[in-house]
Amino acid sequence: MNSPDTRKSDMTSETAAPATAVRAVPATAVRRRGRNAVRGKEVLGAWTLMVPYLVLLLVAGIVPIAYALWISFQQSPTLLEPNKTGFGGLQAYVQVVSDFRFARSFGDIFAVLLVWLPIMILAIVGLALLVHASPGRFGRIMRFIYYIPGALGGVANLMLWVYLLNPSQSPISGFLSGMGFDTIKQVIATRGDLPVILAAMLLLQGLGQWVVTVNGGLNSLPDDVLEAASLDGANAWQLAWRIKLPMIRQWIGYAALLNLAYGFQLFLEPYLLNQVASGSLPAEYSPTQLGYWFAFVGNNFPAAAAMSVIIVIITLAIGLVVVFRSGLFSVEEN
Amino acid sequence: MSATGARVRAGGRPSGAVRRWDAGRIARVTFMTLVALVFLYPMVGFFVVALRSDASVADGTGGFLGIGGISPAGIAHSWHEIISYGGSDTPHVYLTWIGNTIFVAVTGAVLALIAALPSGYALARLRFPGKRYVLIVTLLAMVMPNTVLVIPLFLEVNAINAVGTLWPVAVIMGFFPFGVYLSYIHFRTAMPFELVEAARIDGLGEIRIFFQIALPISKQAVALVAFFSFVANWTNFFLPLALLTSSFSEQTISVGIQSLISSSPLFNPTTAAGLNVKLYMPELALATAISTVPMLIVFIVAQRFLIRGQTLGAVKG
Repeated sequence: MNSPDTRKSDMTSETAAPATAVRAVPATAVRRRGRNAVRGKEVLGAWTLMVPYLVLLLVAGIVPIAYALWISFQQSPTLLEPNKTGFGGLQAYVQVVSDFRFARSFGDIFAVLLVWLPIMILAIVGLALLVHASPGRFGRIMRFIYYIPGALGGVANLMLWVYLLNPSQSPISGFLSGMGFDTIKQVIATRGDLPVILAAMLLLQGLGQWVVTVNGGLNSLPDDVLEAASLDGANAWQLAWRIKLPMIRQWIGYAALLNLAYGFQLFLEPYLLNQVASGSLPAEYSPTQLGYWFAFVGNNFPAAAAMSVIIVIITLAIGLVVVFRSGLFSVEEN
Repeated sequence: MSATGARVRAGGRPSGAVRRWDAGRIARVTFMTLVALVFLYPMVGFFVVALRSDASVADGTGGFLGIGGISPAGIAHSWHEIISYGGSDTPHVYLTWIGNTIFVAVTGAVLALIAALPSGYALARLRFPGKRYVLIVTLLAMVMPNTVLVIPLFLEVNAINAVGTLWPVAVIMGFFPFGVYLSYIHFRTAMPFELVEAARIDGLGEIRIFFQIALPISKQAVALVAFFSFVANWTNFFLPLALLTSSFSEQTISVGIQSLISSSPLFNPTTAAGLNVKLYMPELALATAISTVPMLIVFIVAQRFLIRGQTLGAVKG
């Protein structure tokens, strides 16, 4: 290893995390390289060991993106010529972007993000700090309870919400009927409700695992700093606000960006809520749903591919910021 | 937890302030408990609904959260309805879906392990040109939501005429960059570089070093990769929806539950009117609850490894 063995990304220690967990540990001296033959064997061995992964990366990552890119530049079929093929330039992109649902679907997502993301980040940070301020069994139990809904996963979580939002048997039916709702269709399809419902669903589902993650970041803060602050007379509030919060800034940024990327690809929730509301929601609420529509209803693969390429580019941009700017990952050669 | 360590040391100090029930501590404990109750309340109610009879739910009897309405007869009836769904063309299709899901989730997890462990080791402990790019691509693939690739994957699988079959889903699920990252972190922290060097001096080849030295100490990584990959595969909805919807008996349980929802008289009276099977809230909740059992089992098996893995800073939605 020629460069310092950065252990920044390993913010994992369950036990009292020593300061070294976040600080770079200098490796021992530069190791002397053996003969070229040894080096060659190492390179060959490395690539051999990576073959299964690289095959899967190609098959399930790179080839589909390249193929979608290629298809997105093909001509779209029309009613008169359903089998029309050939190079179509930016035709599919123009068609997608000028579709009346395109801008609206991004607007819908922004509405959800606007309601959800600030609450989500506040809740993640607040609960993570509270869990971190609760040593021992109580904190662990709370952290576990917050985690359960996320562990249930997609469709199970949706069913939980169907149960919650159906006034006929909901445990909050008093609240729902107080709002004037008699059927689940009314609850979901009333204008303006959907962003709030989606925000609540995403919050309940995602909060727990992010509390655990950010709590992990808190656990890796050097003990001596926290101890010094409390010896200086900082109370729990000051400790959280002045010391811990600034130190987990990069974790908060990481959570915000990944949740932003997650919001852009929203599919399952609006798709299934539409079924529950017997089709009274737009079937192309989110951009991913619109891409799905192009592929499965419109049978317009170039447009579906173009839509996917657009969503991939957006999430890729967010991903690049996370990887290179969040400071959580070290991608330097080591 | 570092906080635990702090408290142990604080105990040595005369102040003992940490243990006192001051206003701040009461507020904190009360607030956290309230949030926990908000989380638990609907979940408990949901699992109770799964155990109630249709009539009890329809009448709204059963007291607090309907707990009084739990009845073995209701459970038996609900189970009978679930198992009868699919008619004579696709008998017991619910069990078929569970079986399909076990197949793709387990195959996907095994492939993820086969791919992740050697590549994670190579990235962590071997020097080779291009490593930085493999790492960057892996991290990018890891932080991007996997659903963004579903339509491109559908187009690819469609091009080879394999839509509606299970194996492409399983293979695609084997691509699990988070697992590669977990293994990478594992070998960087758990396997000293000197160990590799020593094995080389002993004359072992690179591949044999992985199998004889690295693999035996990778139990933690195996547990984490297998768990996270299995759960991600089990709950995956969009990929099987796009690749398997065309074939009713080749679906996974998450897509199957969607079929149950769309056949329920609660949400789709016209479709449901033509079916013998009546799926009300108890049936839907029971079908959902049973579908989470495999995840509970792997969770219990893997839980002592979990907190560590979950905090690797690589959680994705």
